Amino acid sequence: MKKAMSLLLALVMLTGLLAACGGGGGGKEPEYSGPSYASLKVGEDYTDLTAELRVITHRTDLILEDPDRRDFTDFAKEFNALYPNITIKYEGITNYNDDMTARISSSNWGDICMIPTTILLPDLNMYFHPMCALSEIESESDYNFATNRAYDGQVYGIPSTGNAQGIIYNKKVAEAAGYTGENLPKTPDAFLKFLQDIKDKTDAIPLYTNFAAGWTMTAWDAYIYSGATADPDWKNITMPQTKDPFADRGDGTGAYAVYSLLYNAVSQDLTEESPTATDWEGCKPMINNGEIGCMVLGSWAIIQMQEAGPNAADIGYMPFPITQPDGKQYATAGADYCYGVNKYASEENKIASMLYIKWLTESSNFAYDQGGVPVLKSQPYPETLSAFEGIGLVEDTAAPTELASLQADVNRESELSLDADQSHVQRIVEAVITGNETFEDIIADWNSRWNAAVERCAPAQ
Amino acid sequence: MNKPQGTLDKPKLTFAQKCKTMRGQQIICTIVFLFVPLLLLFTFTYLPFFKMVQFSFYNRDYLRVRSFVGLRNYIDVFTRSDCFQALKLSLYYMVGSVFQISLALLFATILSFKVRGSRFFRGALYFPRLICGIAVGFIFKFFLNPGFVLDTLLGWIGIANTPNWLENQAINNIVLVCCSLWKYIGQNIVLFIGGIASVDPVLYEAADLDGANAWQRFKSIIIPSIRTIVVLNLILSISGALSVFEMPYVVTNGTFGTSTYFVVMNKLAHTDMKVGLASAMAVVLLVIIVLVTVIQKLVEKWLDYRENWPHDYGTKEASK
Repeated sequence: MKKAMSLLLALVMLTGLLAACGGGGGGKEPEYSGPSYASLKVGEDYTDLTAELRVITHRTDLILEDPDRRDFTDFAKEFNALYPNITIKYEGITNYNDDMTARISSSNWGDICMIPTTILLPDLNMYFHPMCALSEIESESDYNFATNRAYDGQVYGIPSTGNAQGIIYNKKVAEAAGYTGENLPKTPDAFLKFLQDIKDKTDAIPLYTNFAAGWTMTAWDAYIYSGATADPDWKNITMPQTKDPFADRGDGTGAYAVYSLLYNAVSQDLTEESPTATDWEGCKPMINNGEIGCMVLGSWAIIQMQEAGPNAADIGYMPFPITQPDGKQYATAGADYCYGVNKYASEENKIASMLYIKWLTESSNFAYDQGGVPVLKSQPYPETLSAFEGIGLVEDTAAPTELASLQADVNRESELSLDADQSHVQRIVEAVITGNETFEDIIADWNSRWNAAVERCAPAQ
Repeated sequence: MNKPQGTLDKPKLTFAQKCKTMRGQQIICTIVFLFVPLLLLFTFTYLPFFKMVQFSFYNRDYLRVRSFVGLRNYIDVFTRSDCFQALKLSLYYMVGSVFQISLALLFATILSFKVRGSRFFRGALYFPRLICGIAVGFIFKFFLNPGFVLDTLLGWIGIANTPNWLENQAINNIVLVCCSLWKYIGQNIVLFIGGIASVDPVLYEAADLDGANAWQRFKSIIIPSIRTIVVLNLILSISGALSVFEMPYVVTNGTFGTSTYFVVMNKLAHTDMKVGLASAMAVVLLVIIVLVTVIQKLVEKWLDYRENWPHDYGTKEASK
């Protein structure tokens, strides 16, 4: 009996091992000889193509088939008027970036997804179909943010919409505090004065941190790059090779100015009473009704705040209050999630996917409806971004091929995980409340972690 | 060549014939029935575990292996300040689990004897265990936030000026321990009630005749009879205390110094993408849990030994 048992156990182990080995291989990539994304003409080419597409999206709010709202299911129907034989099925994932990262390693997850930001640029070709050469869509008249998910001259992702980085505020509250479009704050000190005026003259919470939801605080990181430095190379090329990037520049610019604004606002009591009691869903009607003065969030949030109550017209958007020594303000603009096509899909599905993506970006008006920066350079800016007129919108330039993963490598190695994790931003708020450390302590710690990571990840000379 | 006298010649059976014997059938049945659970156990427990141990020697993220780093991840775990700092928080939860088990024992004893509505109370006390941990986290998040339920309740009985339960670092970990206690105590109670029910009622009668009071009965009959279950509960609670995740993750998200070992590990693995380092942390934690369990077992044995030896030798003089 004992012998039989051990034999059985060995057998089980062996089966498991074989299964494990078998699972690692993935599918075989089909040959592709079709046209490139850029050369496809939507509505003219392949109109009789038959395909069934599975699309995975992070916008779970846009697949509800709500009759009052034009959402993805309506897009699919409109697209079907041109391509009746292409059926499109949507699937939404709430915890998108993490879940999709796990699913992407199997080859049959679907046809189109939003490319998870966890996948490093050099790895894009392991999962996604190269849609066209970067040179085909990057010219002056074509796409904004075309380089966002491109590697080695190939485009793997087309931006769904673009975001500008500014501050969302309630116009009525600002007006009551004495601020109209003209005299909105342009420097950190003026901004603190602005918050103080809101506190003194209205009942609104001047600045709502959205501390408790966590991910909402990662928004702060988006302002420290080109917006705070006026240098488009800062994020992807300069900063990952620079020591002490968080140090005080002394002129009210750079990462120091961004984070110290948060520190000062909390320490001067210009934020909500208890950060752990903040509520993300609750903040939307609150700012809509004028109970909140402003929040630091990307332009993607505008539409949600407008739709959360009757006062859509009161929601305004202003650039981050940092002015460069040359007297100009800059704001970062960048791509939201980008559409990617599964490398393992069949040729028909790849063509159908690219047709649909091209239709979405060029004809669906999605970016404009969402209040985003247009994807096509020829498309108009939405009304909400009017305050950005005359402001230099800067796009963080992509790193050259040999440095493509440097920013991500240094960022992760330092364990700050800028843009991805909120704990370093939360630490600023905690420091004020507990008094355990000063702002200078935090900056010193970040600098030393960043410096060590820069050294460890330094590209071979 | 001749066989020794007196040994029976076993009839030689072919494999097919062997399978048809009673013994053969038993073996086949066992193999067939065990195969599926063993396969599942292997694929979902052992295989991932071996993989994790393997990962812990690499510098890698989920999708890509960068390099083999030998023991560097392990050295990092021991030299970083945050890993073992986080483990100190487990002390709160360990102390909490001692309270939890004492309280569970108390409730179980009360509910095991005739109490009005004991069935209702058993259900009510076990109920939190059935709610998903994430949901319990959200319940407490709203319960504890300033100006929400707890503060309102305290206000009614005249206690104003309550501290901020989740931000005040003197108390926030204790508050979280209480939340865990509320959720997990039902499990302990059920195990204890089961243990107490298995005690022979004759013992109670005998004790009654001898005039034992409730405390004496508890101390001399119940505790010795269910000691194995108490120890089991202790082991489960202590290893649970070392790997707390749900409460700090959901209620405070590890902010204000509530970041336990698992919360730190989760961030390293899922946002910093240091899968190798996080795997090493998991292996280190496993070793710690095994050590703690072994120590507990040894202490138990030692107590056994100390308790029994005077009786073994029956030296009445020695006990004087």
